[in-house]
Amino acid sequence: MMMDGIIVAFCCERSGYPAADLAGRLRLHYPENLRVIRVPCAGRVDVIHIMKAFEMGASAVVVLGCEEGACHHMTGNTRARERVRYCDTMLREVGIEKRTAVMVNISPNAPHKFVTAAVETSKILEDLREAR
Amino acid sequence: MEARIGVLICDCGQGMQNIDFGALARQAADLPGVTSVNLSSDLCLDEGTKKMVSLIKDENLDRVVIAACSPDMKEHIFRDMLEKAGLNGNLLSMANIREQCSWAHDGEVTDKAADLLRMAIGRVRLLRPVEHREFPVSTEVLVVGGGFSAISTALRLSGVGLRTTVLESEPVLGEGAGEKEDLHGLDRGSMIAAAERDGNIDILTCARIASVEGAPGDFTVTMRTDGTETARKFGAIVLATGFRTELTPGPDALIDARELCSAGVVSQEQLLGMLSNLGLEARPAIVGFLLDLADENSRFTTLATLNNALAVKSRWGSEVYVFCKDVKVDSEGTERLYRETRECGVVFLKCDSAPEVTVDNGKVRVEARDVFLGDDAAITCDLLVAEELPFPVQETEVLGSMFGVRLDSGGFYQDENVHLYPVDSERKGVFFVGGCRGNWDIVRVLTDVSSVVTSVCGLLCPGSIQVDVEKVRVDPQKCVACLTCIRVCPHSAIQLVRVDSGRDAAVISDLACDACGVCAAICPAKAIEFEGYRDDEILAQIEAVG
Repeated sequence: MMMDGIIVAFCCERSGYPAADLAGRLRLHYPENLRVIRVPCAGRVDVIHIMKAFEMGASAVVVLGCEEGACHHMTGNTRARERVRYCDTMLREVGIEKRTAVMVNISPNAPHKFVTAAVETSKILEDLREAR
Repeated sequence: MEARIGVLICDCGQGMQNIDFGALARQAADLPGVTSVNLSSDLCLDEGTKKMVSLIKDENLDRVVIAACSPDMKEHIFRDMLEKAGLNGNLLSMANIREQCSWAHDGEVTDKAADLLRMAIGRVRLLRPVEHREFPVSTEVLVVGGGFSAISTALRLSGVGLRTTVLESEPVLGEGAGEKEDLHGLDRGSMIAAAERDGNIDILTCARIASVEGAPGDFTVTMRTDGTETARKFGAIVLATGFRTELTPGPDALIDARELCSAGVVSQEQLLGMLSNLGLEARPAIVGFLLDLADENSRFTTLATLNNALAVKSRWGSEVYVFCKDVKVDSEGTERLYRETRECGVVFLKCDSAPEVTVDNGKVRVEARDVFLGDDAAITCDLLVAEELPFPVQETEVLGSMFGVRLDSGGFYQDENVHLYPVDSERKGVFFVGGCRGNWDIVRVLTDVSSVVTSVCGLLCPGSIQVDVEKVRVDPQKCVACLTCIRVCPHSAIQLVRVDSGRDAAVISDLACDACGVCAAICPAKAIEFEGYRDDEILAQIEAVG
């Protein structure tokens, strides 16, 4: 499939996106298969966006929102967490077991956490691939 | 009509060596709708911008993709560039090939850059223009509260020429709790006098807010004084309601001791009174302080304890013991103050659990295990100063729900990201200053005051606010008036309005909307469109990957 191996990262423009930028500025390297899509708030990310990425063949979707309790739009990040959980459950239910949807809470000044999120998602994918 | 997309690629002054720009440009040129591809290395500088403006005009482009640095850096400059060339600023999409591509990976990344460029082109095709409008604003500011933070804010706002109204629920100004620590040379009395003299400042005492409506630049506040209600317009509202303090560890443990030995246990405030009134012959020989008994000591308590311990030592020459778990010195100058206090002979006993306070022969006895001595220390004090912790004032909760702003787990107003939005609330045009957000000290209050003056000036001083018209819009035909968006809107920006056809539909205020898109995601009828982040615009980016 076209997007096999690709991780789609929906990044909140107040946390995940600046964290990703900062990671670049600090030359902290992370897997190249990550594609960032900028959103105004993690709460803008709907189930349809996450599932579209899987439909196109993405291996993983990561939603990066603000730390809990620190969302500028109050509950955007907790709404995103619920939607991510819903999508991940749906994948399992329809028997897609080698792909995953992950929610990550991050601060705009946490580039290392961004890199960790990218690396760990890749690791999860590897584990899923090895699992029978 | 087929879109005429212009792709501008900038190498940021050869700051991206691992991208083959020639190949990138060739790949971009082959994509449908792309009319022209241009390479530049100074797109954000005057010269580059001018070249691009004439290029957009010459090639008759109708939308633009820029592959360069992060949109967080220069997107606003490029939007201006489009406007100068006669295009709507919203018809721009950026591919972040620097921070999130070239700089984030080792080795050749032309393929990823091309992918990011394709995603941006996929999105730009669907973008629609968003118009701007100027809204005139009221330049009057309402400051709620009457303590140190409120008065400082009012004085500073008046200093920049903004008419300010101070609304205090008490009969007099300056009855706040936060004035026990050193005010860094500021005199509260003369500040209040200056505020009362100031022609730009109205002071309303014994007044409360009954209701708040409206959007930034245009709030209508109904105020109640002596049973009469008046409605007034304000451009911005600053909440500076401060905090109150309580003795800790709460009534149970200390009240008993206080009753048994009325002069033995005092608060910081009582100690201050004794320091100025007590004659030298009556001075206590041994004074104890309790600090950090709850696991989170407050900044103002730490400062008050250190300042007062120092004053007791220097004025009375008493033996001074501070029983503490930790002394947290994160306020400015506290580390130095702590050293000074130790050097003048104040003894800090570091205990890992709360000390036991009992009464022995009419005197307070404090027992604790010192972790450094590894031994129990028991000290009979002539005076024991209890720890005080900050708590939210009663009106915090009422005002919070009235303004639609959140409270944190301690019941204070929830603060935003301290670096990005130091004094903002989630409702645009409503700001917080000082101890109403909890753990504050005077230096932080003064920083807040400066920040809020900057923010309020930025909002009101131009005399009007430029807003995007219908950037987030409800389609009245699709809206079923289920109220979901009104319930979830974090900024109280949506209202139910009767539309032409006689039905009710949700309408979003352009002024109050903060463009988060929470409503667009949750709307069950998919009636809300967020221009720039519409469903099809997001999906087009995903489809373009790979």
